[in-house]
Amino acid sequence: MSPQNTFQRKILYLVGIVVLLTLLSVLGRPATRGTEQAQDSPGGYLAQLRQKSGLSQAELGQIDPTSETIKLATFGMRGVAANILWEKANRYKMKKDWTNLAAAVRQIIKLQPNFISVWIFQGWTFAYNVSVEFDDVRDRYEWVIKGINFLKEGCQYNQHDPRLRWETGWTLSNKIGNSDERRQFRSFFKADDDFHGDRPLAERDNWLVAKSWFRKAERLVDEYGVKMKGQGPLIYRANAAKCQMSYAEAIEDDGVFGEVARQAWKTAADEWQEYGKIDLPGFGGVVIQLNDLEEREATAEKLSREMDALQEGLRGQIREEKKKTLELTNAQREAWETPPAERDTAQMILADEVEQLLKVSDPEVARRITGPARKQAQELAKRSAANEAVALAIRKARQIVNFEYWRMRAALEQLDDTLAARELVYDGSQAFYDGDLDTAKRTFEDGLAAWRKVLDAYPEMLADPTAGDDLMDVIERYRQILELRDEQLPKNFVLQDVIDRYANRE
Amino acid sequence: MVIEYAIVPFLEWLSTSFVYWLMILGGVVAAALIGSWLVVTLRHGPVVAFRCVGRVLSDTVVDLALIAPRRVLAMAWLAVKESIRRRVVVVFAVFLVLLLFAGWFLDPASSEPARLYLSFVLTATSYLVLLLALFLSALSLPADIKNKTLHTVVTKPVRPSEIVLGRILGFTAVGTVLLGIMALMSYVFVVRGLSHTHQVADADLRAVEQIDDGEPAIRQGHSSRVHKHRHEVTVDASGGVRVELEHGHWHDVSAGQSAGETVYQFGPPRGRLVARVPVYARQLRFKDPTGEDAEEGVNVGDEWGYRSFIRGGSLAAAIWTFEDITTDRFPKSSFPDGLPLEMTLEVFRTYKGQTDDPKTIPGILGSLSVGDPKTGKPIEVRLFTAKDFATDVQYIPRQVETPDGRKLDLFKDLAPDGRLEVWIRCIQPMQYFGMARADVYFRARNAQFWVNLAKGYFGIWLQMVLVIGIGAMYSTFLSGPIALLATMGTLLGGFFSRFMGDLGAGAVMGGGPIESLYRLVTQKNLIQDLEPGLKTTVIEMIDHVLEYGLWVTSSLLPEFDRFSFSEHVAKGFDVSGNLAAQCALRSLAFLIPVFVAGYLFLKTREVAR
Repeated sequence: MSPQNTFQRKILYLVGIVVLLTLLSVLGRPATRGTEQAQDSPGGYLAQLRQKSGLSQAELGQIDPTSETIKLATFGMRGVAANILWEKANRYKMKKDWTNLAAAVRQIIKLQPNFISVWIFQGWTFAYNVSVEFDDVRDRYEWVIKGINFLKEGCQYNQHDPRLRWETGWTLSNKIGNSDERRQFRSFFKADDDFHGDRPLAERDNWLVAKSWFRKAERLVDEYGVKMKGQGPLIYRANAAKCQMSYAEAIEDDGVFGEVARQAWKTAADEWQEYGKIDLPGFGGVVIQLNDLEEREATAEKLSREMDALQEGLRGQIREEKKKTLELTNAQREAWETPPAERDTAQMILADEVEQLLKVSDPEVARRITGPARKQAQELAKRSAANEAVALAIRKARQIVNFEYWRMRAALEQLDDTLAARELVYDGSQAFYDGDLDTAKRTFEDGLAAWRKVLDAYPEMLADPTAGDDLMDVIERYRQILELRDEQLPKNFVLQDVIDRYANRE
Repeated sequence: MVIEYAIVPFLEWLSTSFVYWLMILGGVVAAALIGSWLVVTLRHGPVVAFRCVGRVLSDTVVDLALIAPRRVLAMAWLAVKESIRRRVVVVFAVFLVLLLFAGWFLDPASSEPARLYLSFVLTATSYLVLLLALFLSALSLPADIKNKTLHTVVTKPVRPSEIVLGRILGFTAVGTVLLGIMALMSYVFVVRGLSHTHQVADADLRAVEQIDDGEPAIRQGHSSRVHKHRHEVTVDASGGVRVELEHGHWHDVSAGQSAGETVYQFGPPRGRLVARVPVYARQLRFKDPTGEDAEEGVNVGDEWGYRSFIRGGSLAAAIWTFEDITTDRFPKSSFPDGLPLEMTLEVFRTYKGQTDDPKTIPGILGSLSVGDPKTGKPIEVRLFTAKDFATDVQYIPRQVETPDGRKLDLFKDLAPDGRLEVWIRCIQPMQYFGMARADVYFRARNAQFWVNLAKGYFGIWLQMVLVIGIGAMYSTFLSGPIALLATMGTLLGGFFSRFMGDLGAGAVMGGGPIESLYRLVTQKNLIQDLEPGLKTTVIEMIDHVLEYGLWVTSSLLPEFDRFSFSEHVAKGFDVSGNLAAQCALRSLAFLIPVFVAGYLFLKTREVAR
């Protein structure tokens, strides 16, 4: 190769380097904040893309020198390093080497602090999988808190991620509040100065702290438009209000009644009401608000009535025609012919099926109307169907979150009679644990009588299976007390209707 | 501490291992002689070949027998000078940088920070020193041959055996000095990293118990929070201070005055850097729930089958047989409370138990007994509440009372020949205790921590010497980079030799190398059987051959991880003389043939003649 060729090649390389560096400089120019003399600059294309996708470290969360160092030290092999560490962590977990497991996990998150699934998975590992391996309940609590603190740390590294906040709230609520060891966990949690810092004693309740984390997650979704992957708003928007309900339940389990309990339930009722006002995506692509069901049903009914007025008797006529042509099974016919009050659960379902078959929809009526009223009828049918579709979506959504039960529950738990009933049952249980069966029996009977009053005031409570099961627990405890006294439930037992309805329910 | 392989008594190990070693060595020597004879036969005929082989053998014996220490030392000194010329001190710089930044990644607030710190320094030192040994030993001789500097050496009256031995010793000396300094730095790093103190002021203590009117109360409180933990502090009526164990340590406390208030100042942490000397049981056996002998207990579904479980509320028992339990070993002056038995049992509950008390859930009760050699039955010593994932200490009294009121002497009546049986049962029905042989031991004494750390570094030293030996051997007949790769391959193979052995024995799920590759490519899981047919037969046949090769290779490679004592040191267990001696001899057993092979390879090279 001649010296001239070599020289030309070097020049070409030089030009290439200059072009590439210039391009890189233009594309990668960082964003700058404006000053008095100069305006804000969005930076080069890469900086703008990073900003748009929220990918810069400062955007993602806390910048940790340790994490940055370890990332640099792996020379771009951090994926491989994380993989090896993950494998090690699995081995440590299998061999129950908790110290090394925690150390390996810490190294993984230093390598990949913005990998959300790692935080969620390992937070769960600590709080759920490792904690149960320990026999001493204090050790178990320690690992639950380790898991929660781990998730909280993840939130610092990922300031816009709602899932980590939600997971933190979930672990605080579900693991501390619903475990078999919830009594111990809740009492340890209250006394945990290291976790709470200067949080007032009254607010040191796992359900209230969890509620604040669920609210944080919601705020991130609202403020930054970040999606809560894997969950619909119907569910995650309900969590905070449900935490308030659980808080009210939990303090009553702890023996706190009176105004404190009433206020807790009132807050719960208000928050549930607020939850019912949120726009939610519903079944069939409609936007719903859970509180709107009654209004939507009333509007649909009003529109139906208006249509019926256009040609009176037409709906009845169509229904009669359907009756004649409808082919029912023997079971369906028997269920339908049984008076509603005498139907059992299976018959109720069958009778409902028959009613659905016989139901005459507004579009069916509109199609049969002729003459000048036909256009108006079609318009009414369209509006009615739209309302009906929203109502249907709300009904389905309400079923999913048991909306009506919790609304009714939050309302009736504030009543004097309910508060009294719960307090008496609690006192009776305490007397039972203390072995004072006389007091236990007497107090329970007062409590059951108070429940009778509540049921009479809110008969719909009896229809709700969840409430029915709760009452059956109370009755079972009362039956236990009687058995220990060689007695049986009296024939005219005050909550016999509850037993009749729920004793043999599967 | 988890010990997954049994450490047998030294003499027992030596008798079997020595025979095994002789057999393998004999096999290798025989194969080498026959191979050499065959090769020469092909070129010069069998008689000449026989003569050649005989001559090499006799020369070898002479060369090895007449090794002059003076010349070996001169060669070693050359190796030392070469190492210094190659700036081995760079390793220090790397080690220092590692130590400087290690504090960022090690969490002193962990529940066992000593373990993390010790594991780190031992592992970091091990990697650095082994790498250094690798480069020094594998590249030195080929570079000398390439630069012809070796010619100036071989023209002197020096034997090839002395050249090889000199290199090994020289590099070992350099490595030893480096390792010694690194050990010292590590010790300072660990002690400083774990060091912390707390404070507690009088005002932080609250009275919890009024002893008598006018008498001061017992006061309790918490110390200041350092390294994410606090200690519960109790000050009694006489001013005595007790600090509760937290994160595996406690502190001595001294009281002082500050601004007219009593302030309790904590000393450095104690109980973290320890070296327990355990007396492990010779054997662990089991009784099943009906009281019959069983080989092992129940598997409660753990993926890791290290521990066996016994059922509570039944006749199931775990029985440890200890030997050499004598008054000389456990004199009354040192063990006034009885013999300290340390236990790390695992608890498996099939139901949660009583969960009504908001403060606690009762633990699972167990019974601790000693075996009566006359009746073969256990005599209960005490009941205990099991603590899992923690070391629980129970004392076995020197005098044990039988149910019928007789008092038996532990040493004379229950362990007349030093053999003592310890029985453990789980009392509560439907709950289980899990145990392995090393989970229960007598703590004979505490050894010095720094001595134990030194033993940990001795393990690394053994690994280093082996790598130097292997590297020097390869460098006698391979070029530098190839010798480096070969030594690295041997090192890696040594670390995975147990896995290779398992693979060779067909004990690994998923089949041999070809079957594993086939499963990877076709995305078949490990459980799924391969469909019968020619393809599977061919795969299995090739695998059989490869597995045999793997088995032979794994038998010849040194198990490098066996030389590591870091687990013992990090977990606070003394490295026994027995274990250290076994490893030292095992290392020597590899070094001797490696040195002889190195000598023979060098001898056959043109440059050395």
